[in-house]
Amino acid sequence: MSGDDGRTDGGTVDPTDDDLAIQTDVSASVQSRDQRVASTETVVRAENVNVFYNDAQALNDISLEIPENRVTAMIGPSGCGKSTFLRCINRMNDLIAAARVEGNLFLRNKNVYDDDVDPVALRRRVGMVFQTPNPFPKSIYENVAYGLEIQGVDGDYDEIVEESLRRAALWDEVKDQLHESGLDLSGGQQQRLCIARAIAPDPEVILMDEPASALDPVATSKIEDLIADLAEEYTVIIVTHNMQQAARISDKTAVFLTGGELVEFGDTDEVFKNPSSDRVEDYITGKFG
Amino acid sequence: MATEDRTIDGFGQVSRTVGTVFRYLLLAATLIGIVALVILLLFVANDAIQPLTADPGWHLTFFATLVVPTLAVGGYLASRNQSAAAVGVGTIGLAVVTTMFAGGLSLIFVDIVDSITWAAAVLTLAVPTAAVVAIARVSNRSPLELLAVAVILYYVSLFGVPGPLRSVVGTGQLLPGVGSAVASIPVLPVDWMLLFATFTLPVAVVVRYYARQLVDDRTATAIVAVGLVAVAIAATAAPTAGITPVPATVLASVVLLPTMTYVTTTALSRPHDRVGLALPGAVFGGSLLGAVAVRTLGYAGPQAWVDWQFLTSAHSRNAIDAGLYPAIGGSILLMLTVAVLSFPLGVGAAIYLEEYAPDNKLTRLIDVNISNLAGVPSVVYGLLGLGVFVRYFGQPSGTVLVGGATLALLILPIVIISSREAIRSVPNELRQASYGMGATRWQTVKNVILPRSFSGVLTGTILALGRAIGETAPLIMIGAPDVLFSLPADLSSKVSAMPLQVFAWSSLYATPEFYQRAVPAGVVVLVSVLLSMNSVAIVLRNKFE
Repeated sequence: MSGDDGRTDGGTVDPTDDDLAIQTDVSASVQSRDQRVASTETVVRAENVNVFYNDAQALNDISLEIPENRVTAMIGPSGCGKSTFLRCINRMNDLIAAARVEGNLFLRNKNVYDDDVDPVALRRRVGMVFQTPNPFPKSIYENVAYGLEIQGVDGDYDEIVEESLRRAALWDEVKDQLHESGLDLSGGQQQRLCIARAIAPDPEVILMDEPASALDPVATSKIEDLIADLAEEYTVIIVTHNMQQAARISDKTAVFLTGGELVEFGDTDEVFKNPSSDRVEDYITGKFG
Repeated sequence: MATEDRTIDGFGQVSRTVGTVFRYLLLAATLIGIVALVILLLFVANDAIQPLTADPGWHLTFFATLVVPTLAVGGYLASRNQSAAAVGVGTIGLAVVTTMFAGGLSLIFVDIVDSITWAAAVLTLAVPTAAVVAIARVSNRSPLELLAVAVILYYVSLFGVPGPLRSVVGTGQLLPGVGSAVASIPVLPVDWMLLFATFTLPVAVVVRYYARQLVDDRTATAIVAVGLVAVAIAATAAPTAGITPVPATVLASVVLLPTMTYVTTTALSRPHDRVGLALPGAVFGGSLLGAVAVRTLGYAGPQAWVDWQFLTSAHSRNAIDAGLYPAIGGSILLMLTVAVLSFPLGVGAAIYLEEYAPDNKLTRLIDVNISNLAGVPSVVYGLLGLGVFVRYFGQPSGTVLVGGATLALLILPIVIISSREAIRSVPNELRQASYGMGATRWQTVKNVILPRSFSGVLTGTILALGRAIGETAPLIMIGAPDVLFSLPADLSSKVSAMPLQVFAWSSLYATPEFYQRAVPAGVVVLVSVLLSMNSVAIVLRNKFE
């Protein structure tokens, strides 16, 4: 896995420019979405997924199909199971002893809960970015190279590290301090470092669990621009609390409501303009949640 | 008018009497313990050092050359530049602690392990290690192949060909092991050069690694190279000052090399804190100046019991000739044995319990029992050592190995508990990040958990070793002799220890001279060793957290 095949430089907007970043609004990103090449291939397909923590049901019969090279947002009130669903995709729930998953979840037509699937091997094909920035207490370079190192990729990591940092819109800010600790960066920079770390081994899907919720508005808009760029190469699945964020950056939106139910899934514009059920409309318009 | 009255009278007073009484009771509780301990230590130190037997002129001279300048420089630094003061204190601490380390190591290299044995042992391990690393770098072998190669290489290096397999193969020794090969070389470089190659150079590598974190590669190499030259000069020049080259090499490698490197790297990388180096200057310069002045003026110093004679001679029937040397050596050997035995066992158990063990009834049972074991009286561990190692395994009683193993069992629960604390304090987000990247459990432990928790693990282990070094009861139980006149020669010879020797002086040889003078002197040495170990632990904790 050389990792640098078919990689192009990031988007046209310079994401390091704060003023431009702040101007990002709904209409602009909708336009850029429409320009994308259509692709109908399904990457992740859930069939009747149920998750229990001990006896409490966290996800109730979830079925959906997530398309390739699109941003799919999962929204919903706290405790609705959207993060749980995300963690089913790369089997991070396996690490929780009390969690039990039922149903089928396919990544490229392979059920990840089949007996012959090694969750460690699965996670190497699915990148993940967490709610709080969590770089390792290592140098910036070592952070980005971590995935390559644990996968035993041979050769020189310099090129991949630079490429990943460029795609995460961080290269210009850190190119002179690659060997200093990743913890010396600001919160927003740390989160972009975590994104660089996640994309360095060239995964097929990137999962993001509220990646901007611990960041200030400027850092948030940088991450949002970044997500739009990443969708050109990767399938991005993002959990967010923030409905405006979902509307701005996603192509598809899944709305979860309390009880772990998937009540709405479709094109983002449709979901926000014509929600099919009253409960979803109430949630989106801010009557609860 | 009316409104003013209301603001004055309107709120009233809330009684704080009980709270105040409570607060001062807590303060008293804190102070009573600390003050009692300080008084006890001062009392003991006074008996051991007897400062009042010195000439008043001696006190005055040192007051003028040492105390006044140190207080002046220290006060200036503390009020103006805190970080510079920290650098100054750090330099002094480094010099003092490394000197104590050097003393212990010199003792080992002079009396227990001669240079040639040490060099042979180091080469026996280093040659196959270097070969395995080289093979791993050059060719792309699987871990299993590498393991097989490593086993063969270490075997050949340790035993030669065919080694212990001779009886199976039926031939004579075809190829000697690295150790015996080194020992059979007819012409060998002098003692200190062997030590320089196999002890000073590894120390230099470690020192360079730490220097590298403050200055760039080339500067670090240059600084360490200058330090190595200084060690060589010290070793060659030592005989003119009446010191033999071996302890001079050890002293220079352990004290001079790290201290010099610390001073130069700090001066280069933190120009604002350079002024802090005036503090060690004042302390060491003042001591030297005072010593010279006292000698020329002819003032007599205190008749301290803790002196060179006390540290370097064995027990004697005359209290004035008695010393702690075999006990110090015994304690050091015990510490090394305990560390080697308890560190891997304790840290291994801690990693297993924190990172691997499933959360079930068995794990919880083990949890509770480890906590209980930490509280079992040490005399019970002594009995265990006697029963298991001496009676069951038939080891001779009171040896370094049996004593070390017993003390290792004693501190094992403490090492496990403190290591688990350190491992538990690694944020869960880091584990999640590592697993999320597709790391296996082993990769997560190796790359994330251990590096992050290592200083905490080390701190806990050093503090536990401090507990072991002060233990008397288990050693008595396993039959360690109270009094020993020479250092233990190897792991299976009898060992005494500092607390045991002090105990013997206060019971078996209870003349007033012994228990009024020799006992306090022994306590001062023991407590100094303990405090310096604890200070290393504290520095480690502060540095990496």
